[in-house]
Amino acid sequence: MSQQIGTERGSTDALVQVRNLKTYYDEGGLFGGQPVRAVDGVTFNIQEGETLGLVGESGCGKSTLGRTLLQLEDATGGEILYDGEDITSYEQDELLSWRRNAQMVFQDPESSLNERMTVGEIVREPLDVHEWKTDGERRQRVQSLLETVGLQREHYYRYPHQFSGGQRQRISIARTLTLNPDFMVLDEPVSALDVSVQAEIINLLEELQAEFGLTYLFIAHDLSVVRHISDRVAVMYLGHIMEIGPTEELFADPSNPYTHALLSAIPLPDPGQERDRITLQGTPPNPRYPPNGCPFSTRCPARIRPSGYQDLDEGVWSQLNTVREVLRERQRADRTIRERIRGSLGWETRFGDMNDTITELFGEFEVPANVQEILDEVARRANENDEEAALTLLNDEFGSVCDGVDEDPEQSDSELQFYTVGSTDRKSYCHRHDSEYREPGPVIEDRSIKEHGE
Amino acid sequence: MSETVTPESDVAPLRKRFLDNPRPALLWLVGALALLVLELGRILGWVKALGTGVKFAVMTTAALPKWVGGNVESAVADTGVLPGRLEPVGELLGSGVVTVLVFGFVVSVFLSLSERRVTRLLRPNMPSYRRLTVERALLTGILTVVSALMVLTPIGGLVESMIGFLTAVLDNISNQAPTLTSREIIPNQGYRSPDGSGWEGTFLGLSPGQSWGVRVAVVYAYAFGWLVWLWRGYNVFREQYRAADWTPRDDTLDRFSGHLWGLFGLVVVFSFVVLALWAPAISTVPLEERSNEPYRFEHQFLDDEDIEGNPLTDGSGDLETVRHGQANLYSVSKGKGQNVGLFSYDDFDRFSPLGTTPSGGDMMTQLAHGARTSLIIALTGLGLATLIALVMALLTAYYKGLVDLLTVVTSDTIVSIPLFLLVMMLSVIFSGSDHPLVTPLDGGLLLAMVFAFAFWPGLWRAIRGPTLQIAEEDWIDAAKSYGQTPSKIMRKHMAPYVVSYTMIYASLLVGSTIIVTAALSFLGLGISEPTPEWGRLISSGQDYITTDSWHVSTVSGIMIVFVVTGFNALGDGIRDAIDPESDIGDGDAAAAGGGG
Ligand code: SF4
Repeated sequence: MSQQIGTERGSTDALVQVRNLKTYYDEGGLFGGQPVRAVDGVTFNIQEGETLGLVGESGCGKSTLGRTLLQLEDATGGEILYDGEDITSYEQDELLSWRRNAQMVFQDPESSLNERMTVGEIVREPLDVHEWKTDGERRQRVQSLLETVGLQREHYYRYPHQFSGGQRQRISIARTLTLNPDFMVLDEPVSALDVSVQAEIINLLEELQAEFGLTYLFIAHDLSVVRHISDRVAVMYLGHIMEIGPTEELFADPSNPYTHALLSAIPLPDPGQERDRITLQGTPPNPRYPPNGCPFSTRCPARIRPSGYQDLDEGVWSQLNTVREVLRERQRADRTIRERIRGSLGWETRFGDMNDTITELFGEFEVPANVQEILDEVARRANENDEEAALTLLNDEFGSVCDGVDEDPEQSDSELQFYTVGSTDRKSYCHRHDSEYREPGPVIEDRSIKEHGE
Repeated sequence: MSETVTPESDVAPLRKRFLDNPRPALLWLVGALALLVLELGRILGWVKALGTGVKFAVMTTAALPKWVGGNVESAVADTGVLPGRLEPVGELLGSGVVTVLVFGFVVSVFLSLSERRVTRLLRPNMPSYRRLTVERALLTGILTVVSALMVLTPIGGLVESMIGFLTAVLDNISNQAPTLTSREIIPNQGYRSPDGSGWEGTFLGLSPGQSWGVRVAVVYAYAFGWLVWLWRGYNVFREQYRAADWTPRDDTLDRFSGHLWGLFGLVVVFSFVVLALWAPAISTVPLEERSNEPYRFEHQFLDDEDIEGNPLTDGSGDLETVRHGQANLYSVSKGKGQNVGLFSYDDFDRFSPLGTTPSGGDMMTQLAHGARTSLIIALTGLGLATLIALVMALLTAYYKGLVDLLTVVTSDTIVSIPLFLLVMMLSVIFSGSDHPLVTPLDGGLLLAMVFAFAFWPGLWRAIRGPTLQIAEEDWIDAAKSYGQTPSKIMRKHMAPYVVSYTMIYASLLVGSTIIVTAALSFLGLGISEPTPEWGRLISSGQDYITTDSWHVSTVSGIMIVFVVTGFNALGDGIRDAIDPESDIGDGDAAAAGGGG
């Protein structure tokens, strides 16, 4: 059973609907080349009055997503429906009047306020831009807003320099409130603050939400804060949303392998309890060259393995992964003409001999003969500077649906999609939820036991 | 949200704060007025000169459409599309289109700078972007119609004669108005009284040297008075009227006032500017009398020497009159006994505090007016260069991409032309034709334009980094998120941070312009006679540097070194005051400034 999230519910009470949104950077730059796929096709809704938490490692595209929702970045593709209207297609004037509805709180209170302006000037600027009422009324409103966020009216004529980080964040929040918005993007609003101050700001945000009926997109990498404030959570990895659902359910019983990995990093409140920390291999791939198939496939602890190699050693699998990354790296590297010639003459290039690399990688493991054979062939192709062919071979042999390889074309759709998981409205982006495969949870457990030999 | 709070709890706006406590401000204002009245004549003279400059700029701009139109016309004529008799139509069309374009540009700049929207009163609900477009079209149209009326109907002549009348009135006032430092109040050109009792025609009968000293002292005291009073005014504002009890600027000023090297620079620059502004008062003799038209003006002196040159001690000397030009021939400083040195009188009892030039002119007069030339060139040239660099820096940092790339290419191209080569090329091109740009300051204005053209790329390069950094700040994104217009984002949220950097580099470049101007004059390029210029003074005294007329080159050389050092010191001071941690190398801009 599977479906796209977009079709869920009557979505009448969805304030923001995001449909297959893409934001690419450096597109068709001066030298052509691959764009950076910061946000690569995400789809979700934000309900009126709720707080949607957006978590992920830094660089996963969550900030870009937030900025695209506010049209600070142009979307490369897809739609953002706000109250049912696509704001990506707005003209200048429509966009300007829409901007009243949506505001943003930034992460760094040092950078979000112009130090050469007084607090009053800073907070009232949105009113000036939208030509709201008269001068005196604007000043009145700003001063009462300063009180609303826990500052004093007299602070109108102070400069940001005279305030602490927490107070500056309050000023920033006051500025976002001036135009009476419905929707706010909070981009890590507390991560630059002291822990004691964090709680105050979080409380303030919750109070304001209750008072003005605000809808929040709360971007953070601190999971405990997200767990506290969010009604629902979306987990993002490499430009994709991997899992989205109600906070408590998602935290208590993660479905997606990436969510598993992410949550395993939080220390449990009860020290007596034990949880295996899943250490992810390597680093996230370069968003300019995302992997084929599932975005998480290069590091996934539950990656589906081809049926032929079910009992290969865990270590060998992880080294196979490394080989693939090395090949991808080599494929992308720019080569000078000289290097190409040297390579074709069989001379040594700076890329070194693939055979050596492989020997080094697999030295300590027992590699079955059939695997070794394939590896030798991979090395031979790579040494001929045909990484393309080497990768194809590697993928054909060891790839699975996770890598976008369709093992069995008749059986199922190898296109990755969202599966509804759990009891409530929760989605996860992983092949493992297909009835063909085992669920991620048990698989991860099994493998980690195998690896650690427990 | 509660909006029922009583206004009393507010800090009042500036107008109200002034009305509540007007005394300090009024007191200060009275003082300022008194200072103004003391030198009203001279200050009105400056206003007039400024007006002339503005008029010149407007006329040159106004000539642009005709010029472009002419080119269009000849281009059209070349293609032979239009029959000969239709040529005037082509010209009219060309200048018309260009006029509208120029107006359109001016209007857009003006509108993006002004806050108020006129049409807001008529159509309050019009979307703001459309309103901007409408207003642009409207204003351009009005301007075009008005100027067409001016050109094609007698209204133009009427307006012109009105302006002429106003100018005449202003002239009259400025001639009548008191001027503390004028030659009439403190005269220094006189002659010894035949009875040997002292001097006639000088201030209080003092010697010409002493009365000149008094006048210079009064000039500097007066200028210093203004400085003190302005500082006081700032403090009055700060203590009595400013709502904020602290601003970032306070720290900057504090740091600067503790910066000795910067203060030294300020003093030197201040003295230089006063020297330039009050050049006619600091000169011992009016420039036109002794140097520009020396045979039109006469000088009276007591001829109390006999034929052999021995002084007549019996008081039997006669008052004689000589033309300055003739007298100059006897007062040259060319070494070999022909010398009028520092603080000395020549045979005609004319006082020369810095001696005379090799052609018999007065060094002090030349130096003071030369300072004026340098200041005008530096201000116009660097002012323009700074403006271009600043605007380009803001645009390239805000829009990045293609704009940035094109500017890099352009600036690299310009920087790759050696400055001297550029100036030589341009002076060859322009000196042949009597182009209107050549006349002012005998090529000084043209030189300023060349400087503007040659220096903006270096300045832009120097401030590009800081500007790009500012463009990355979150407050820029915040401003975008509530819909602030790009032009206001650049002005309110970026420019204040960049202007200070620009000022630092510009003050470092002032030195370069002075040196390059001097070097060009030294080579016989750049500014030609009779506009006084320091470089030409140096070169004219070059041959006599080893004789007793050493002062000609030496004094002017020392002045250049001094002033250039002063500007650099000021730049250092500003830099440290603005950003104590910064480490802005002065190599970049200075290297670009060095040019050739
Ligand atoms: S699709 Fe495959 S690689 Fe991606 S998360 Fe699921 S199991 Fe892991």
